[in-house]
Formats: sequence, structure tokens, C-alpha cells
Amino acid sequence: MKKVLFFVLAAFVTTAAFAQSRVTGKVTSSEDGSPLPFVTILIQGERGLGTNTDIDGNFVLERCPSDAVLVLSYVGYTTVQVPVAGRNVVNITMIPDALALEEVMVVAYGTAKKGTYTGSAAVVRSETIKDVASMSFEKALSGKVAGMQITTTSGQAGSAPNIRVRGIGSMNASNEPLYVVDGVPVVSGGTGQMSDYLYTSNNVMNSINPQDIESITVLKDAAASALYGSRAANGVIMITTKRGRLGKPVINFKASVGLTPSFATVNYDIAGPEQQVELYYENFFNAGKYEGKTDAASSSDALRQLNNRFNKHGYHFTADDNTVKSLKIHGMTDGIENREGKFYDWDDYLFRTAIYQTYDLSVSGGTDRATYYSSISYTKEQGRSTQNDFSRISGRVNVTQKIGKIMELSTSVNLANSTQHGFNDTRNVSSNYFMLSRNLLWPLYWPTNYKTGDPWTARYGSYAYNHLYYDQHWDNFAKVLRIGANESLSVKILPELVLKTVLSFDNTSTRDHIYYDANHYSGSNVNGSVNEMYTNYYKLVSSTTLSYDKEFAGKHNVSALVGWEAEENKTDFMRSSGTNLATDALQTVTTAGTYTANAYYWGHTMLSMLSRAEYSYDGRYYISGSFRRDGSSRLGENSRWGNFWSVAGSWRVTNEEFMKNITQISNLRLRGSYGVNGTLPSANYGWRALASYNSKYMDAPGGVIANIADANLAWETSYTWNAALEVGLFNNRLNATVEYFNRDSKDLLQSVPISTVTGFSSTLRNIGEINNHGVEIELSGDIIRTNDLTWSAGITGSWIKSTVTKLYGGDDIVWYDPYAGDSRAKFIYREGESTLAYYGIEWAGVERETGRNVWFLNDEDATADLTVDGRPATYSYAKANEVILGEAHPKFFGGFSTDLTWKGLSVGLTFTYKIGGYTYNAPGRDINDDGYYWERIMSQFCYDNRWTPENKDAKYPQRIAIDMEDVNQKSSRHMNPADYVRLKNITVAYTLPRSLTSKVHIQNARIYFNGANLWTWAAHKEYDPEVGHWGSRGWEMPIGKTYTFGLEFSF
Amino acid sequence: MKKLHILLAIFAVVLAVSCEGFLDVKPSNQASAETYITSVSDAEIMINGVMSLMTSSSYYGRNMFMYGDAKGGDFALRSQGRGLDQLYTFNHSHSSNSYSGYWTHLYNIIAQLNNLLLNIEKLEEEGEGSSALSNYKGQALTLRALVYFDLVRMYGKPYNMDKASYGVPLILEPLDASAQPTRASVEQVYAQIVADLTAGAPLLSKAKKNGYVNYYANKAIQARVYLYMENWAASLAAAEEIINSGIYTLYTPENWVNSWTVQFNTESIFELYIVTGESDLTSGSLSFYLRRHGHGSTSAMGWYMASDYWIERMNEDPNDVRWGVMDYDESFDQTGVKRYGSCYKYSGSTTFAGDGKGSATAVNIKVIRLSEMYLIAAEAAIGTGNKAKAADYLNAIRKRSPSLAPATAANVSVDMVLDERSKELFGEGHRFFDMMRLNKTITFNDDFIYPFVVITHREKTIDRTFYKTILPIALGELNANEAIRSQQNPGYATID
Repeated sequence: MKKVLFFVLAAFVTTAAFAQSRVTGKVTSSEDGSPLPFVTILIQGERGLGTNTDIDGNFVLERCPSDAVLVLSYVGYTTVQVPVAGRNVVNITMIPDALALEEVMVVAYGTAKKGTYTGSAAVVRSETIKDVASMSFEKALSGKVAGMQITTTSGQAGSAPNIRVRGIGSMNASNEPLYVVDGVPVVSGGTGQMSDYLYTSNNVMNSINPQDIESITVLKDAAASALYGSRAANGVIMITTKRGRLGKPVINFKASVGLTPSFATVNYDIAGPEQQVELYYENFFNAGKYEGKTDAASSSDALRQLNNRFNKHGYHFTADDNTVKSLKIHGMTDGIENREGKFYDWDDYLFRTAIYQTYDLSVSGGTDRATYYSSISYTKEQGRSTQNDFSRISGRVNVTQKIGKIMELSTSVNLANSTQHGFNDTRNVSSNYFMLSRNLLWPLYWPTNYKTGDPWTARYGSYAYNHLYYDQHWDNFAKVLRIGANESLSVKILPELVLKTVLSFDNTSTRDHIYYDANHYSGSNVNGSVNEMYTNYYKLVSSTTLSYDKEFAGKHNVSALVGWEAEENKTDFMRSSGTNLATDALQTVTTAGTYTANAYYWGHTMLSMLSRAEYSYDGRYYISGSFRRDGSSRLGENSRWGNFWSVAGSWRVTNEEFMKNITQISNLRLRGSYGVNGTLPSANYGWRALASYNSKYMDAPGGVIANIADANLAWETSYTWNAALEVGLFNNRLNATVEYFNRDSKDLLQSVPISTVTGFSSTLRNIGEINNHGVEIELSGDIIRTNDLTWSAGITGSWIKSTVTKLYGGDDIVWYDPYAGDSRAKFIYREGESTLAYYGIEWAGVERETGRNVWFLNDEDATADLTVDGRPATYSYAKANEVILGEAHPKFFGGFSTDLTWKGLSVGLTFTYKIGGYTYNAPGRDINDDGYYWERIMSQFCYDNRWTPENKDAKYPQRIAIDMEDVNQKSSRHMNPADYVRLKNITVAYTLPRSLTSKVHIQNARIYFNGANLWTWAAHKEYDPEVGHWGSRGWEMPIGKTYTFGLEFSF
Repeated sequence: MKKLHILLAIFAVVLAVSCEGFLDVKPSNQASAETYITSVSDAEIMINGVMSLMTSSSYYGRNMFMYGDAKGGDFALRSQGRGLDQLYTFNHSHSSNSYSGYWTHLYNIIAQLNNLLLNIEKLEEEGEGSSALSNYKGQALTLRALVYFDLVRMYGKPYNMDKASYGVPLILEPLDASAQPTRASVEQVYAQIVADLTAGAPLLSKAKKNGYVNYYANKAIQARVYLYMENWAASLAAAEEIINSGIYTLYTPENWVNSWTVQFNTESIFELYIVTGESDLTSGSLSFYLRRHGHGSTSAMGWYMASDYWIERMNEDPNDVRWGVMDYDESFDQTGVKRYGSCYKYSGSTTFAGDGKGSATAVNIKVIRLSEMYLIAAEAAIGTGNKAKAADYLNAIRKRSPSLAPATAANVSVDMVLDERSKELFGEGHRFFDMMRLNKTITFNDDFIYPFVVITHREKTIDRTFYKTILPIALGELNANEAIRSQQNPGYATID
């Protein structure tokens, strides 16, 4: 890249000068005051008179004209021109070019300059994300890139956020973007098999230490991403890790500690103990009245129920005048403890102030022959649940070595070892600790028996159990060891012709362990059980490219790239399990009386050819084109190969003659692109009709046919238009980008429900088309820009419309939120409707006089029981027709941020927001119940909003213990507006003055505070509004407010 | 330049792997469906697969028996929300609690059997036929008949109520994904069941083969089917052929209780094998559904227990040997009175002896026992008018209640047989179907559940005119199969 810059600079060289003298000086970075070595310094107009700074940033220019203008250029910094103005000592500060148009960014198979790149891509620099206390980098990207939606749904340590680039590009196949690290596609998502037993999975992206990241490029349109062909339809996230810079070794040390004492919002907070008891009484009292019993009989039945349930926990109940008002809770006096007036605070045991700590040490540097960056890091993240934590040790070595004159070898080795402990995040009554705390554990349940003081070992009603006891009787962990080696060799055959070959090996081995001893209810039936699983993921990528880049006649720039790539993925799986364990002192399979085992492997491969050509004229007109051909083992022979391509162009209007005099406009550029890329099926063998052999019988193997397959399964293909206008005003103090895109995705893959009479409930097919189009805006500006004080602000916003345009059979397809198999929300694909259209029955609320649920009939043929708002309605949900109830997509979403810097002090705020759409409150059926789940506790929201004779305008019906399941219906009852604004991050940092730190040989010292999720406004205040991409909130552990304090030194 | 050569060498090596074969990646744990049956041993493996599917919780592993028991009035429950309780409350609709798992799972088994039959026929056409192969064909036909019999009992009206009404779709060969089958009549389904059984019987070995259907299992299913069809002579003949074969013998009253701890005991005509660690449903097993709350394991939610009416019936003889598999139920916690309503047939014994596999929940499922054949013979004999014979067959079972007077030709009646079936086959999935085919009124023990939950989705007493005595075609099927939408069972909603 330096070479390219050199050419550009050469163009500026113009005049000669007269008086000459010796000029010395030092070049430092404005960022941290560190000296910049090997900065190219030229004298404007004087060919051959330049120099470079030395390793300490010092330079000497002999025979420098006194009126000379020095032109300083350095990769990653804005080129500056400094008049010598007769001085002998010229100290110069260079500013990193974070927003500069000449900024070099990493793109598919190469680099490009932001100001001339024809595709749509966004870059996030390490500075932006480095202070956020997060195990994985994704969380820190929230609100930073227009069109990219990042949602953190789970507050579990080790969980991964959802990322969507430009809406939904797929139905059944993956909507995940492709991750590319240092130019090589990598494994992403979960790698273990723990989802069969406990928690969903661990996220392998956690193996990348965010502190090792130099920059992240998000490729959004086809022009940017078509070179990744069949995997690029959902966008590409390219991660570039840090490499050494020329200069003396720089040692960087960073430590931070974060505290998460509370959740970010209200999350189904439970009603108080007395209120719970009231609800319970009311439930049975009302059922008695429904049966036609007297008040006295109903009251006594209700009290009997309460006594049955809670006598054994040390309470008894009276209601002297047979009303809820006279309901009293008394302590039992026949035990060693009288619990009158006392209740157990389960939250106090289950949750904690979670501590996050991370330590990073890196050393980097380089000579003109070799550069290096090496780091080691340790991070430990606790979940708020006492049963959840995640830790990681990672190390990285990045070395670049020149060999001879024309070769350069670049090596990256990453090693990460992580361990996760956790529990279930889904609606699992027996292993979701959050759900237990909000729905199952009565404050009237105690961990000890009030009579004896012994631990309570029986399960409480409705599957609740005593954690204080059971947490000592089970264990689990998932350990991930990831080793990635990436070797790249480039050969400069000619100055303009470079051959580059990359070989990458990525090995992720996951060991999952889950153990229940014989005292745990999950192990008691088999006298203890232990499972050990090893999943070994190998990914081998080899790519070779030949690139050509030349300028002709000073005006014509031509570049071209051809290459090919092969990729092999293989996963080995092995499980051994034991039951009937000899002792609870050991947790190994070898102690078991009975063993079972399983082992097999799976994988997929891909072959590709790729090419790209670019031409630009006079810094004004740019065109480019790319073509890639992919073959994948995930498709059958007939449809295995697919072609993907793009064309793009841009016009840099500011470089036109007629713009020269309009000095206010510093940048004006138009660009556009069109292209085709694709998505592969996520199933490795989806096109094959298969028989499987995992149904043993009579100790002999058994086989069954496993599917009805479509051998002609094809790629999903996306056709994307993109057009953008970029404006920079007042020397780029104000920048704006407005971008429009339109993506038609065809042949979408979906597991389609079929008549189950065929023996199978679904088959994978190419079934339809969807369209995503939208507008993205990015505005940023420096409101104040002085030497000591800068104040900048920026906003990103996206409006995306995502619609099902065609279903090949014409028939609607009903589907469920696939998150963790919970079937939380129900959706329908219907032509002309949203891709996330909630489907179900329409709730008409509560009948004012009776407190009963009412449903809109939405069926012309059926007879109504009543009318609500003039519309036919019914008391019976089974009579109501399902309709589209609304959509999960927001109308508008994005983020805004502001940064204030005054001398060494800086304050930054990042907000994220979402406007429009609905969230689906899946736990609503558990905690806003009408009486069906009478063994469970209810939320304060339920208590406050239920119908009673005194509260007839209630949102929810009367609580009554009859066998109605209205609450379990997928209906608009559980839908709420999704709008929210959240202060995602606030960072306050102070860099100690160099004059102070240099005395103790510290180049840079910085202290900072980061606060995450400290403030949230939500339209619906019952639960955290930041939901996953399916729009539904389930029983995930909510995210917390995190306060992080950190220190950073470099030597 | 030397380095360039090295580079070119690497380049060449990597290129060498890049051929079309590189892209042909096959799974290591699954075989291509087109070629998976090429020999007798393949057929055996596929039959094993089918047998394994039959032990699923969606079928004989649990839900099939629970269907026959929960709805029949011999059982009651103490609370709702723990599983399968809507069977008891009849809270069914096409969209909620449709229990479509029966439909889906049983048609999956049908698809497996149809594939197997097709492949066996192919092998036979290719001259690969053998008696071993025909034996598998006989098993497949017999199992298909059994599955259709169960489907039509759940989704169609009783045979003697309305033969012309909708049964279930009759699928006899593999379907492709776009198929939209419609329902055959109850009569057509029964005709196919009889045809399959008749075709299958001569192909089957008469030797006892533990865990699989043989000739006599086929005959036992025939006895059941003809009983439902009220073809008394055929039913009696089939049952008697088994009784007289001498291959199976009744448990004596003394060893009746222990019989539940023994696999493939002398009465087992068709018994499904439960594999420890594989098809063992552990806390989801029949053992857990029927045992007392918290008994033997803190995860036991002790779900279904005997109704007061069944206990009254059993109390006709406090010395009835069959009390031996009963233990007290959870109502003891509240009343302090031991009520022996919890059934331990599927735990081996009330002390969790299991049936010898080291797990009290991996207990084999006795689908057809010789006792049932005696009771069928008794009932069919009444149908044919041979009351003396009926009394003999009934008394062979009735002697398990030593204090009760034996039946006589004079007093033997269908109701007596029915009562005996209730006692003998308790928890074995018969009661509801018996009440339906005999057009009896079922009274539910709802006061036992009160005030936990008040039942609103059915009356306290029902008979077979109540529409929810058969299951709805579920919304998922209606959505995916346009052709079947107009064939919803009466009373249930469909979609436009």
C-alpha cells in the first residue's frame, strides 16, 4: 500500500526552492503521542530529497529549502503538508485517518481505499470497540454500521449476539453472515454438541480476542461480497488482526474489571409473596364460584389448596370472612423455625453481581524486513447466574517476513482455550434458572425443612427444585480449544504482478461434559450419569490469487485478480456416556456400570474459481466487475455449481473540473452496483435420500429411512442493486452517506411442511422468493474541532422492508421461531407479506363484565358469541381463525453516538434504537397466566393487570382454575410494541499527559470507565426490549448493566 | 527462484485434489436410501428400525397406552400441566392439544413398512426371495395392520357405530413429498387391516421370537380386530388357535405379580423390547407416568392414578392378586389415607425391580398378552352364543380374584368380561376403546381432581356420540394437505 501512496504523492511534487538548511524534527502520533518510525517525508517539488523517520520518529533533512513544504505520509495516517517556514526544528503530529477518504480498508481478496471503492462496505476500527467489556467483538459493534442489526438477547456468559446484515436474506438456510479472518473464511456459530443435553452451544467466535482486532469490515452489497459467492448473500464480516508496525518494540498492557450488579431492565419481576398467595387463593375461590359453590365452600377449598401446598414449607393460611381481603399467612409453630413474616429470596441465591475481568498483554514492532505482533490474554466473564461463567486464554502471533526481494511470508497463529459453564436458556422448566426464579420458585418454598432444618431434597410442585441442594449434585462444562494457522506467501513477480497463496488450517476441538450424580433428580433414575463428547472441527482452506495493478499514462488505473480456492470441512464426533456411577467423588465414564457410545463424522467441501477486474480513469470514474464459480458438496450433481458475479461503478464528482471552485464540498461521490450471490443449504446432506441406523432394537442395529429428499436442491440466489451518494462538507467535517439497496433472493430453501401421511413432516426445498429493500443513512460530523477540544456526533439509521414476494407452490407456509426448538412465536410466509409476519389468533381482550378472554372470530362462516368493537368475536379460541397479527421487523433502527475530547479526557456515548414492529412475549404464557399454571408464581405485571371485580378495565382476564388454555395460544395477546432506545455504551477515558508518564518510561497511560446498557427506554416495560432477530423474547437470561473500569499502558 | 519452485510445488499439490470427487461428500452414519435394502439382513435391520419406532413415546413406549387409559374412566389425575393431561380433560382442538404426534409417528412407521414391503417385492422379483425374506414380509404386513388398527381407533368412529364415516388415509406404498392423501372410510381401513393380516399370517414363523411378531401375534391382532368388527366366530377362532397352540401359558395367580419383573414371559404374544440407555424413556416413561409423585425419584411427577370407580371394582375382592402391582398414590399427602391407585406394572414392581435390565424404567412393553386372548375368546364366545365356553375362558382369568365366585354359563355377560378386562388390562391401553366399541357411557372421577382444576371441556359423563372421543386432524396436516381439509372430524374446526 505504501507503494500506491507513493505514486499519489509523486503527483504533488511540483516546484523547486532556494535557501537550504538542515532541518530536524520528530514525528508523533496524535493518538497517543508515540513516535512514528519510517514515515516517508518528501519535500514538495523536490524529487529525491526525501527521507524517512528513524525508529524513534526522528528525521534529519540536509539541504532543505527554508520555504519548503514537507509532505509526510504514513500508512493509516492522513498525509500532511507542513511548511518549514524557516524553522530548523519541525516537530510534526500526524492524525490517524479514521475517517479519511484515503483510508485503506480490507475487502474481499485485497484492500481498497474507502474513497474510491465501488462497493458498499463499512469499517469499524479497534478504537471503537476496545473498551467494551465483552468476550466477543460482535457486541461492541451495535449501532455502528448502518444496515447491520446486532441484538444481544442472552445475558449468559459465553452467549453470542445475533447479527443480521440488511434484513432477512434466507428462509431456512443460514441468515448468519460469513466471517472472514485475515482473508480466510472461518468456522462460526456453535461447535459443540451440548445442545443435545443442556445449553444451546458455545460460540466459536469467542475464540477471537477483541483486543487482537485491528479492524472489521462489513461487506454489504454484491459488489463488495460477490467474490465470496455462495456464502455472501447475508453479508460478510471481515476481521483483520493486528500486525506489527515498524519501530521499536511496543509493549501494551491492558487490564479491566467489570461489574454487573443488576439486569438492564425489568424482566418479568415477580409479584410479592402476599400477592402470589392472593392470586393462588383467588384462582381456586373463583373456580369454586364457577362450580356454583358458596363463598364459604370456595374459600375453604382455596385455603385447603394453599395449606396442602405450603404447610410443609412452614406456612398456614386463614381467611376469616371468606374473602381474599381477610387472607392471612401464618407461620407453622411445630418445627424448629417459625417462618411467619419471612420469605425466601431465591434471587439472592440464584443471581450475583457478576464480575468480568480481562488482562491483555501484547508486544509488537518491526524492522523493514519483518514485523511482528504477539499477544496473550486472559478473560473471565461471570454470568449473573451463579451457575454460569466463561473464561478464555488466548494467544496470537502475527509475523510478516520479507524473503529476498520479491517474496513476503505472513504467518498468523491463533490459539484460544475457553471454558464455559452454563445452564439452559430455553423454556425448560427444569434447567433454566431464570425461568425458575420468575415462574417456579415461590418465596414460600425454602431450601430447608422448617421442621428439621435438613436440606429440602424433594422437588417442589411444578418442577421447581432446591438449587442450594441440587447445585452440588451436577456439573457441566464445554471446553473449546481452537488452533488456527494462516500462512500466506506473496511473490512480487513484477512490480505490478503479485502471486499470493494462502493456506489456512483451523482446528476447533470442543469437549462437552455433563454430569449428574445419583442424588440429582436427573441422575437418580440411573444412579448417576456422565456424558463426555468430543467434537473436532477441521477446516482447511487453500487459495491462490494472481493480481495485477498498473497505472498507464498517469490517468488509467487497471487492476485484475484471478484465483481459485478449495475448502474442506470435516467434523469428528465422539461421545461416551456412563450411568450407574460408582461414586459421586469422580465424574468420569470409567467409574460407570453401564456404558454407551457413539462416533461418526460429517463434513462438506467447496471448490471455487474467482476473478475481479477494476479500471479507473483520472481519479473520477471507477468501474469494477467480479466473477466467481462455486461448487459445493451440499448440493447434488445437477445443481452443484453456481455462478456469482457483480458489476459496479462510481463517479467522484469532486474531482471534476467544475467542482474545483466549490470549496465547501470536499467530497461528492456517487456509486452503484449490481450483482449476484448465493446461500448454501445449511444441511450437509439435505439433497440425499438417506437411511439412518440409530434405532437399536433387541441389542441389534435398526435402520429407518430418514427423509424424503429433493436431489435437485439448488443454491439460494440473491440479486442485489445498490446505489449510494456520499457527501463531505467543509473539509470533511460533515459527512453523509445515503444508500439504497434492493435485494431479490430466489430459490430460497425451506424445510416445507408436507402432509405427514407421507411419513415425514417436512422436506427441504427451494420454495420461494423474498425481497429486501431499504435505505441506510450515516451522518457524522465534528461539531467542534479545535486543538484541545473536539466534539463529534454520528448517527446511523436503516429503513428495511422485507417481504415474501413469491411462493412457488402458491400456498402459505406456517413456521415457528426456530430458536432453540422452543417454537416461541408462530409466523407465516405469504406472498406480499412480511418475512416475519406473526401468525395466530387475534385476541380481543377481556370482556369487561365477566373478565373472560374474547377472541376475534375472523371467520365469516362461523357464528359469533358476541361482538367487540363491532366485530364478530367468540369466547372459544378454537373457533377463531388465525390471521396475520403484525410483523417483527422494525420500521427503522440504528444507533447514534457522540464523542467529546478535551485534552486527555474523552467521553463517548453510543445509543441504539428501534422504531416500529412488535416483539412476541413467549414467556407471557407462563407468567401472565389465567389460572392454568396454578402451581406457578406470577409476575407483578400479571398481578397488576388481571381482571377483578374492582379492576374491570383490566388487560388480562380473571384468574380462575379451570382447564382453559387460552394463555397457551399463539395470539396477539402476547405481542407488544418493540420500540426502544438504549444507552448501549458510555465510555469516559483519560490519557495521562506524556510529560508525566515519560518520566517513568511509559509512552502512554490511559484509564477508562465503560458502562453498558445503563439506561433503556422501552415502549413495553415488562421485559428487555432487545430481542433476537425472530422478534421473540423467551426465557433467555436477560442482559445486565455492566460497569467496567480499565487501565492501559504502553511502553 | 528456488523458492518459486517450492511455491509452484505447493500449488500443484493443492490443485491435484481439486476434482469432482472432492465434492462428493457422503455421510458416515447414514446410507443412501435407494440402496439400503439389498439382502435379507438389510430387511432384518429395517424391521429392527420399525420395532424401535414402535417403542417411541409417541406410540407403545407411552402415549398409545395412555390414550386408551386416560380417556377410559379407569384413571384420574391430580393436577394439570404435567403432560398428557388434556387426554383426560378432552381439551382437544385442531390447533391446540391435537395430539398430532400419534398421526405423524404412526404414518412414519407406515412409510417405513411400505418401503420395506416394496423393496422385499423388488428382491423377490429379482429372484432373491427366500422364506427368511417372506418372514420379514409377513412381519411388515402384520405390523402395518396393527398400526392402521390403532390409527383408525383414534381417528375414526367405532366400526359398529358408523362404518361409512371417515377412517384414515390408506397408504400402501411410498409417497413422494407432494402427495396429499385423503381419508378412506372406516370400513375400507378395516378391510385393509384384515387383508394385511390374512396375507401376512402364512408367511410368518410359528416359533416364538422374542421382541417380534410371529404367526400367533398376527392371529392375536386378528382376534382383536374381528372382535371390534363383531365377527365373533373369526375372533374366537383366532384367539382359540393361540390358546390351544400351547406355546403360551397363563400366569398362575401366585406368579402373576412377579410376571411384571420378567421379560418375554409365558403370556407375551407380542412384547416390545426396551433398550437401556436408548429407548428407555426414563422420567418420561410409563413407569413415571403411573407411579406415585416423588416415588423412587424426585423427578417423578406421579401423574395418572386409578379412579375411585376402578378402585371400587377392584375392592370387590381385597384378595385380588392384581393389587400386588398397586401402591398408594399421592392423595395420601393430603388425606393421610392410603389409596392404592398407583400402578407399577411398568416399574417391574412397587419396589422398582424393573425387568432385569438394571433400570426400573427400561421395562418391556407387553403389547399383547395371552390373558387378553382368553378375555377376547370369552366375549366372542358370548357373541357366538356359547356361554359355557365364555364362562370357562373368563374364569381362567377371573380366578386371579380368589374371593369372587366363578362365572357360570348362566350369568356370564359381556359386562362381566368388560369388568375383568378393566382389572386385568389396567394400564395396558384398552379401557377407552372397549367402552367405545361397546357403546358404554364413561363417567370420570373429576371430583378427585377438584379443586385443582375444574373440567370445562367435557361433561362428567360422556359416550361415543361426544365428538371429542375421536381426535381432530391437526392444523399442521390441514395446512400442508389441502385435499384433507374437507374431511375434518365432526365438531372440530378446519381451515378454509
